[in-house]
Amino acid sequence: MVARALVRLWSIFGEPLWVVVNMGFPVLSSLAMAILYFSIGAISYVGFAVLGGVMISFWGNVLWSMASQFNWDKQEGLFEIYLTSPASITAILVGMSVGGIIATVPSAIIVVAIGWAIFHPVVSASWGGVAVTFGLTLASLYAMGMALSSLYLAYGRQAESLNEVLQEPVSMLSGLYFPSLGSASPFPLALQAVASLIPLTIGMDALRKTLFYDNNIGQVAPDLVVLAVMAVVLLYLSKFALKWLEHMGRRDGTIAVRIR
Amino acid sequence: MTSLRPILASAWMGIQHDIAWTTPALSVSLRAVAPFASAMTVSIIYWFGTTNGAGLFVPAGLAFVLIGSTLYAHVASYAWVPTVAIAEGKNLSVFPHIYITSRSTAFYTAGRLLSAFVISAITSLAALAVAYYVLGSFFGTQIPIVVNPWSALLLAAALVVNIPGALGLGYLLGAYSLYASKFEWSLPGYVAGLLMVFSGALFPTTILPWPISVAAYYLPFTQFITAARGALLPSSSTGYASAMGLCLAGGVCLLALGLFVYFAAEKKARKDGVIDRRLA
Repeated sequence: MVARALVRLWSIFGEPLWVVVNMGFPVLSSLAMAILYFSIGAISYVGFAVLGGVMISFWGNVLWSMASQFNWDKQEGLFEIYLTSPASITAILVGMSVGGIIATVPSAIIVVAIGWAIFHPVVSASWGGVAVTFGLTLASLYAMGMALSSLYLAYGRQAESLNEVLQEPVSMLSGLYFPSLGSASPFPLALQAVASLIPLTIGMDALRKTLFYDNNIGQVAPDLVVLAVMAVVLLYLSKFALKWLEHMGRRDGTIAVRIR
Repeated sequence: MTSLRPILASAWMGIQHDIAWTTPALSVSLRAVAPFASAMTVSIIYWFGTTNGAGLFVPAGLAFVLIGSTLYAHVASYAWVPTVAIAEGKNLSVFPHIYITSRSTAFYTAGRLLSAFVISAITSLAALAVAYYVLGSFFGTQIPIVVNPWSALLLAAALVVNIPGALGLGYLLGAYSLYASKFEWSLPGYVAGLLMVFSGALFPTTILPWPISVAAYYLPFTQFITAARGALLPSSSTGYASAMGLCLAGGVCLLALGLFVYFAAEKKARKDGVIDRRLA
């Protein structure tokens, strides 16, 4: 696990330009949404756009550097090495997650710094609640990335098309830039229920409550419990899915097929 | 005619590449999902901000951001295609088959961009249509977008007039991919983000600080979106003809610059032997 995390960290911090490259979309999209809030006179909600920019950094990392990673590793011939090594695949995935989170932190910090410097968003935070919520949101989000990575193994290059299909709708449903749950949500109840199945939705809702409405850990406890349960369930799901796909791949002889 | 043939062949290859990985109907539908979701996100922010903030919810304002968000996504989704066509071609060893021909790779990238333009135009307009009905239903309002043969014709003309600008941007981005094999996969994010901020897609460029607001105003993509709004929103005060003129003039300048940079990069990449290098 540590070895895989170090590889990811080295790949980012060994080439500092990666930090600049990775922050592009989160910074610019956050800036655009913040200016939109500003332009329509909703200055008190500019913070939502900055928070959205932070979390889209991690969501992008989950999608493109977790979910797709094994598929790309397979194309490069690395996946066979993972399988033949004594390390467990789950440990490798957890290592990738830890490395991915640490590697994305600079990008998230830059989003916050720029958002703070330009817009001075109003914050009324319970920082303990923010920290716990943030940690659990990332845990459940990366567990989802692990589960997706096993799913993507079943596909070939279609995985990239799937990523492109998933990125924007999940960003919308999870309410990266506006509340997608509760009375302030524009979505009907059935759609809110669907959105609640995405860890990022629960996490964003709880983060907004703790960061902008001073809700403490007790007040967001139901959200935290849901996030913790999601993290555990998705972790086990990814483990079993990977085992099953490995079994199928070995049986059909497709496990080492690089490009399909 | 001799120039048209490789462009059409490349365009056909682009169509095959982009939509033939599954059934065409499914592929096109899936491609409409991202612009639809993007338009929904921005429109919902407008609704949420105006109904909960100090502003006032105006259906015309919703139409303004709906059209802008759909069309910036349209430009972003096809302007970066030359970059990915070259990068993917290098990675999968397809690109050497292109550059060893007697033709410049510029024909190939132009063809790929044109095919992406056609697909993106279809998916973006489909996304706009679906978002129009869904948002109207969510917010219980009539969005004042006018669609009739005349407005459709004006919009189609705006889409076409924007091609030189997008092609110019495509060549500029593609020039990078010719020479380098690093970070090119992140360029689309930058393109989409920059268009979001500087093309007047979500808010008027006048809100940006001077002189950025002036530079943003004269971008061909800003003028394209302005012209599209002029076509679909008759109540808007924007001048359709002047926007089209500025879009075309800016687009031609950008195309000339893009071609100059692209040919220089191609020549240097061939000379330095990096045109088929997979990793930087």
